[in-house]
Amino acid sequence: MQSSPTTKPLSPRKMGAINGRGLWTLYVKEVRRFMNVFSQTLLAPMVTTLLFLAVFALALGGAGRQAGGVDYILFLGPGLIMMSMVQNSFANTSSSILIAKVQGNIVDLLMPPLSPAELVIGVAGGGVTRGVMVGFVVALGMSLFVPLSIHNPGFIVWHAVNASLMLALLGLIGGIWAEKFDHIAAVTNFIITPFSFLSGTFYSIERLPENWSFIAHLNPFFYMIDGFRYGFIGHADGSLAIGFFLVLAVNLFLGFTAHRMIATGYRLKA
Amino acid sequence: MQHTRRPRLARRYGSVNWRGLWVLYSRKAVLRFLRYGLESIAGPVVSSCIFVTVFVLALGGGAPMSPDLTLAQFVIPGIAMFTLAQVAFDSAAVMIIHDKQEGIIEDVLMAPLTPFEITLGYCLGAATNGLITGGVLMAIFAIFIDLPFSDPMMAVGFAFGGTVLFSLVGVIVGIWAERWDHFSAAETFLVMPLGLLSGTFFSIDRVPDGYDWLLLGNPMFHAINGFRTALTGHSDASVLAGGLFIAGLAGLLALLAWRLFAIGYRIKA
Repeated sequence: MQSSPTTKPLSPRKMGAINGRGLWTLYVKEVRRFMNVFSQTLLAPMVTTLLFLAVFALALGGAGRQAGGVDYILFLGPGLIMMSMVQNSFANTSSSILIAKVQGNIVDLLMPPLSPAELVIGVAGGGVTRGVMVGFVVALGMSLFVPLSIHNPGFIVWHAVNASLMLALLGLIGGIWAEKFDHIAAVTNFIITPFSFLSGTFYSIERLPENWSFIAHLNPFFYMIDGFRYGFIGHADGSLAIGFFLVLAVNLFLGFTAHRMIATGYRLKA
Repeated sequence: MQHTRRPRLARRYGSVNWRGLWVLYSRKAVLRFLRYGLESIAGPVVSSCIFVTVFVLALGGGAPMSPDLTLAQFVIPGIAMFTLAQVAFDSAAVMIIHDKQEGIIEDVLMAPLTPFEITLGYCLGAATNGLITGGVLMAIFAIFIDLPFSDPMMAVGFAFGGTVLFSLVGVIVGIWAERWDHFSAAETFLVMPLGLLSGTFFSIDRVPDGYDWLLLGNPMFHAINGFRTALTGHSDASVLAGGLFIAGLAGLLALLAWRLFAIGYRIKA
């Protein structure tokens, strides 16, 4: 008998209820994916946002225009930060899933021992990280020109994370649904951009005619931007409590939807 | 055995290969664009309409840009011009980068087309796409906003000049770019700043003293100013000088694009 008791035979890796290492690997892969091209994913949004800021500042002509009880530029700043965050979290997850699908390497996500919940958390986590990092970089660039002050950091963090998460989950769902790049371009053009532009980033909702302001109050993007802006300037157009719980509820719903899509293999598994 | 049929001859053409040029222009550039009509036309049109809405809502009631125009009348020509230039740029650059990446640029290089014809085909194709989008956009705006259209021929002229200029920029960026990152970099750091800081959204007297040259040196400013003058009769700067500036710059860029195709820069190994 030539047994070697010193080496144990290889056995499958054991893991508990959560495959921590797998989840971490997926998350790091998602983060590295955008950090690899940071000039496109972090610097470009900053430049575009600062251009928007310059345009609006010039268009105002420096008059002492007010919105929401503060100078217009202070009102606009947080809205622009939020807008760049939501656009980037959406772009991150949607492109990640869609490129993987088109190139066929989506199987590398589906084959490993990762549960649908772990897939959702890993991919969405990458999107949230990009959104929050973009928001931070944009805020940093903006603070050179605009005296941003912080009124309530809790609201800033809560809405930054939840808004990024909401759009990351939407991007995940969109990426699973889309079959071609045209589809995702259509979602961006006809859903994400209109919602983010028409949500009170640029104007106080009080300026809208009566019926329109009712519609604006149904837009979850409005509450994200409003709550986030409250964290900076201490003034909100809508109800803070509704916003606080609405984003959470929408995220739970979207997370559940994404989970079901992956679990049933909708447009992922043949 | 007798050969009754004549042997086939090579197709003859004069100094310009018109049929080849037409195929490059129509099939490769314009039809490809129209095939994705929803995204390629409706996308920019929707974004522009949103821009106008947001801008008028945000700034309405403030100090007017000029005494004789409403805010919407001031902003719309600029946004339309910016959109058509951007579509022309995107269209030209995406076409060439796509062809390079798929390796089908050889089909264009192998065909009996001179570098000049290739430049012309790509450039006019992209410009046409920009003008189609701009036409749809202006048709929509004309329904909602009162635009005098005081000089239609000049409007067409400046629209044409602006789109040709930016499609040439797109051709050059397309030749230069090796990856999609390069294209997005050009769009973010060149086209967007030129478009946004161009007097679309503000008149030149809003610019702080000493920074006027930023606007006056921007071809987009002249394209927009000329187009706005043609539509509304309000001018921020000399229209003639602007037109000459655009024409001169477009000539220079056309020369550059032609040379790049001729030497095969980043196209021929």
